[in-house]
Amino acid sequence: MDGGARMTVAHYLNQFFAGLGGEEHAGQEPVRLDGPTGPGRGLAAAGLSVDVTLVCGDDRFGEHEDASLATLLGWLDELRPDVLVCGPSFGSGRYGYACGVLAREAGRRGIPVVAAMTPDSPGVIAAEGAAYVVPTGSSVAAMRETLPVVASLASRLAAGDAIGAPEDEGYLPRGLRRNVLSDRSGAARAIDMLLAKLAGDVRTEVVPTADRVPPPPALADASDATVALVTEAGCVPQGNPDRLPSRHANVWLRYPLDGVDSLTADGYGTVHAGFDTTAANADPNRLVPLDAARRLEAEGSIGRLHDAFYTTSGVDTPVATAATFGREIAEELISSGVQAVILTGT
Amino acid sequence: MPSTLADLEIATFAIDEIVEGTQTGRSDRRLSVSLPQLAVGAGHPALAEATVEVVRPGDPVRITNVLDAVLPSVKAEDPAGTFPGVLGPLAHAGRGRTNRLDGVAVLSVCNWEASGHAEAGTFPDAFVDMAGPGAGLSPYGGTVNMVLRFRPSEGAPVAEADRAIRIETLRVARDLAAITLGDDPDGIAPVRLPQPGESDSSLPAVAVILQVASEGPLLDTLLYGEPLGGLVPTLLDPREVVDGALTNGAYDWAGVRNHTATYQRATLVRELLAGHGDRLRFAGLILALGYLDTARQKQRSAMLSARLAEQLGADGVVCTTFSSGNSHTDTMLTVRACERLGIRATALVCETNGGLTDHVPEADCLVSTGNEDELVEPWTPGRIVGSDGPGRAGERVPTWSYLGACVQTGDERWTAAPA
Amino acid sequence: MGIPTVFVTALPTIAQMVGANRVLRGVSITHPTGDPSLAAGDELELRTSIVGRALEMLGTDVEPRTVWGVDGP
Repeated sequence: MDGGARMTVAHYLNQFFAGLGGEEHAGQEPVRLDGPTGPGRGLAAAGLSVDVTLVCGDDRFGEHEDASLATLLGWLDELRPDVLVCGPSFGSGRYGYACGVLAREAGRRGIPVVAAMTPDSPGVIAAEGAAYVVPTGSSVAAMRETLPVVASLASRLAAGDAIGAPEDEGYLPRGLRRNVLSDRSGAARAIDMLLAKLAGDVRTEVVPTADRVPPPPALADASDATVALVTEAGCVPQGNPDRLPSRHANVWLRYPLDGVDSLTADGYGTVHAGFDTTAANADPNRLVPLDAARRLEAEGSIGRLHDAFYTTSGVDTPVATAATFGREIAEELISSGVQAVILTGT
Repeated sequence: MPSTLADLEIATFAIDEIVEGTQTGRSDRRLSVSLPQLAVGAGHPALAEATVEVVRPGDPVRITNVLDAVLPSVKAEDPAGTFPGVLGPLAHAGRGRTNRLDGVAVLSVCNWEASGHAEAGTFPDAFVDMAGPGAGLSPYGGTVNMVLRFRPSEGAPVAEADRAIRIETLRVARDLAAITLGDDPDGIAPVRLPQPGESDSSLPAVAVILQVASEGPLLDTLLYGEPLGGLVPTLLDPREVVDGALTNGAYDWAGVRNHTATYQRATLVRELLAGHGDRLRFAGLILALGYLDTARQKQRSAMLSARLAEQLGADGVVCTTFSSGNSHTDTMLTVRACERLGIRATALVCETNGGLTDHVPEADCLVSTGNEDELVEPWTPGRIVGSDGPGRAGERVPTWSYLGACVQTGDERWTAAPA
Repeated sequence: MGIPTVFVTALPTIAQMVGANRVLRGVSITHPTGDPSLAAGDELELRTSIVGRALEMLGTDVEPRTVWGVDGP
């Protein structure tokens, strides 16, 4: 932006991109830094000068959302930036979610926001249309091509310029709806639509934004039921014999539990790339609670544990892939007579 | 056996202006009213104070803490029988002539929190703006409003104070309409209940499932003056809905719940009755609760509503929704239950910033009554009625703040479209 | 109709957002069903109570997208 009034630009990063450390620092409490850091320098090179960088660990945000948000929003209220940039978070689920939630709340305070993440990131839904989200690939390799698009959008938003259509500007449709006055009452439209539906022509004015399934009825009696353990935490036998990918998993796997009473550190581990695996590798029951489930089975609280557990790594998994995995695993479980599932995730 | 009592007819009188005067009367499209003669609030120990003023479209006024809006109505042949069960003695509503004013509403206003009858933060904002960016959101931004402001007596039981407010509001509505007694109306619309066998049975039969909520004092819907908590789905005569059998005692979430005028207008019912014999047959009206507490109660109610629709011979139903949040689950379960019995369903729902609150796969035919969360541009009114506080002057406020804005019964024309 | 599933996760908000109906708040992102700060015996007790609570949730009819904690709803 050449000339004109000085803009204030804020930038939100997670602990890793702020250079404060990797997964082991995912519990980093919110921190406020002057000037650009990490990708913020890339934004500066692309013409957007960052004044303040706000940082929060991904796990910290996920597990202490209200407190983290209060701190971050307090800083934003003091700063009153002309624009906030969140990320790029690429394929990261937790980071993307934090970016989306912060974007939504900043949006409620009238702060324009630009974010960048994969279209499947939970942050897109979390943002509720508040941010202009630039779609990216899932890895940091997409950084170089993403930053100029982000910088351009952010500069113009800060200047109060109008932003063009998603397909022209390179951001995801925001899924926003605007209230408008129809020329007919809702009642008249409802009657028309019902008569059309009765004639075989089904139309709707609004569709759900996300998949909704009603809760299945409760288990009548767990002590008589077959229960299965399923995980997206990437738990596999030691040595990962079937080479479950640690990210972009394109498979789910099943492993026998006959005669296995506990997922010991010798026998099992995790390959999930999305979190600090130290605690989990020291005791994989911390991801898939087999030892506890066996105890409850022995004392009769569970009828029987299914004879296998199911696993995949939920990192950068496209929504469509995850939905397919879920369906396939569910079909196999149901046809094997499983009546309930305990699913664990990180 | 068809009813021998005269069918309902609504005689409308268009009114543009109410002048405060020493006499009460009507001259063409103008009412003259002596406000002191209305004696609002008199004789109710549960009310410490009641005031009345006329507020007009274009006035720089924000009315806050709005409880209800009532269309002035009176039974022409039996004024004392208006709003039976609340004002009038218990008797069937929905027969004979009802005089109604068009262009006027009676609004009740009360700050329950200030009087100590509700905890702070219980009631979200409830506005009608007479000018500014929000004026068109509530239908009452465009009517001449008789605004009744009530202050309950300290220590009065909340149910008594509420009952007094409701009675006074309905009474003023009746007394305003009574000014027209004996005059020739501008229009007469029959509201006729179709008789079995009188129309082409090849036309699709359509029933209405009207959702109400009744969770206790200040959150109730009343049928002939009694709250509907515990209601199992039942049938109502559409004429009695239109003619005052249902009144409102629920005061939260003004933009998305029903109010008394919603039942009086009953646009959906009247459109269906108007279409009877032409492109459809009107099969009947089912009244059912939303906001049931447990999943099991919700499923049971949905099941029973669907069964009633089946007994009515409905080929299709239109389901309405009362307010937002978990009542949307009631609507969705009702849609699903009907579809599972082979009855096609359409439903009216509002949207939120997060999209639809709930959904089932069978809900493939939805009318959107607008996004309740959409923010309205700030306005600084010249005057605020109904609150001593700032009334969110100069702030963006969500659409749900405006009485009736996104009402999910089909009376209004607001909807949402891609931005 | 599907079979009841409890999703044990330390990120219950995301779970709700994507439509999971029975969500049990896990201990932590890195160890949803464990706690390395506890002694082994105590940790197994904790894990047993988590699985027990999961069974309870499986045996309860819920509204869509319900989140429970291990100690209370």
